[in-house]
Amino acid sequence: MITYLGKVLLEQARWVKGLIVLFVDILYWIFVGPFLGQFSRRESIVHQMIFVGISSIVIVFFVDFFTGIVLAMQSAYILEQMGAKLYVASLVSVSLCRELAPVLTALVVAGRAGSAIAAELGTMKVTEQIEALETMAINPVRFLVLPRFLALVIMVPALTVLGDLSGIFGGFLIGTRSMNINPDLYMQITFKYLELKDINTGLLKALVFGIIIALVSCYEGLTTTGGAEGVGKATTRSVVMSFTLIIAADCALTAFFYFLN
Amino acid sequence: MSAKDCYGQSIISLRNVTKSFHGNKVIDDVSLDVICGETFVIMGCSGSGKSTLLRHMTGAIVPDQGNISIKGKDIFDISSRELNDVKKTFGMSFQYSALLDSLTVEENVALPLREHTKLADEIIDIIIKMKLSLVGLRGFEHHYPSEISGGMRKRVGLARAIALDPDIVFYDEPTSGLDPVVGGITDKLIKDLSVKLMITSVVVTHDMHSVFKIADRVAMIHQGRIIEIGTPDEIKNSKNPFVHQFINGNPEGPINLFKEQI
Repeated sequence: MITYLGKVLLEQARWVKGLIVLFVDILYWIFVGPFLGQFSRRESIVHQMIFVGISSIVIVFFVDFFTGIVLAMQSAYILEQMGAKLYVASLVSVSLCRELAPVLTALVVAGRAGSAIAAELGTMKVTEQIEALETMAINPVRFLVLPRFLALVIMVPALTVLGDLSGIFGGFLIGTRSMNINPDLYMQITFKYLELKDINTGLLKALVFGIIIALVSCYEGLTTTGGAEGVGKATTRSVVMSFTLIIAADCALTAFFYFLN
Repeated sequence: MSAKDCYGQSIISLRNVTKSFHGNKVIDDVSLDVICGETFVIMGCSGSGKSTLLRHMTGAIVPDQGNISIKGKDIFDISSRELNDVKKTFGMSFQYSALLDSLTVEENVALPLREHTKLADEIIDIIIKMKLSLVGLRGFEHHYPSEISGGMRKRVGLARAIALDPDIVFYDEPTSGLDPVVGGITDKLIKDLSVKLMITSVVVTHDMHSVFKIADRVAMIHQGRIIEIGTPDEIKNSKNPFVHQFINGNPEGPINLFKEQI
């Protein structure tokens, strides 16, 4: 039992170490690579940004839109009893910007793009494409991981902004149509308690989540072994571990900002 | 050191290379020299360690013990930048071609040129056309690897391997999975590259037809050990029962897969 536990712990420690090593490697290529004249090709970064970002717009919009609706209805249920239903607007906007939009967007991207990245890199690993790159003296981290990392780090916060807006729009619809709050008044209350700090907090979270998705999915992809089955396992692991780490990081960051105040 | 300067000297040298995977010795104390300009064939049964040996030479696998030098440089004792410089002087044709699925045939062949040279796109286009016509694949530039046959993919892999005009080309089973005609063309191509461009070739194969057509020297590997090394004629007339059984494809003999598994 203890040996088993030790083994699991050791495996996890190795996994975390692998992520850190990959992160340092990526930072090297971001900050040192350009001076060596070696960076990712612009086309591949744009290609990845389209895949990660543009193609996720519709799903992020709907996920956050419905969340805004649900949030408005749920909070109205309580706030109405306290005679404070007007404050639905600020509750929706603040909780979306600080918390829900970054997390939900990150989960959507991890499920959609993170799994695809792990599967693609995993397939490349088991079909010797990664080895072929190395044999051609092309660093796989620079060539494959860097554009995906940059795309995620830029696009997750960008999608979060979209998520903020679509969630507020969802809340707005419920507030004005179903709860009969005056639209002008609703928007006024929305921004009354929403500070730039709240949006920044959310965006910083989104940035961290983007890094987590990129590291986990690329690491799982690059360390895939064992053919088609291995690719399946790597994909599953990338989603499960990204989800877990995103929620854990969210908890840590929320606590950090809470106590900072 | 260009191919012409080193003629007759050792260009790749392995000394006491040993490698184990999960306690199994896959490569057992192998020492050999590949002479500049020759076509060196490594043959052996499936699982004998021949592909693993090739991967040691390309730097993909680090040996547990021993040294591997290419052009006098110990490839596991130099900085990664120096190793990359060495890698740029060789090409490799993979058993399953290992083309990047997301790139077209043209982009695959252009990849080493775009990454390692500052050539203008027009010149790269010309080089791609030359290399693709060398392997008989003009007209397929815009196809993706998934849209062409396995044999064609393999030839694209070969075009990619020679894109940078390397001094050494490694071939992992270049003719396996090809029809006899395309196999024959590939053999001729390997021979032509080696004779006309003085490229050193290291070929891993178990295709006996191809071995005797292309080889200058042959090494037979069995259970991770080199058991015979010599010219094709010496191999043909070898008294070694393992070699004899292998080149004749006898089911009976000292190589007994069923016995070895127990």
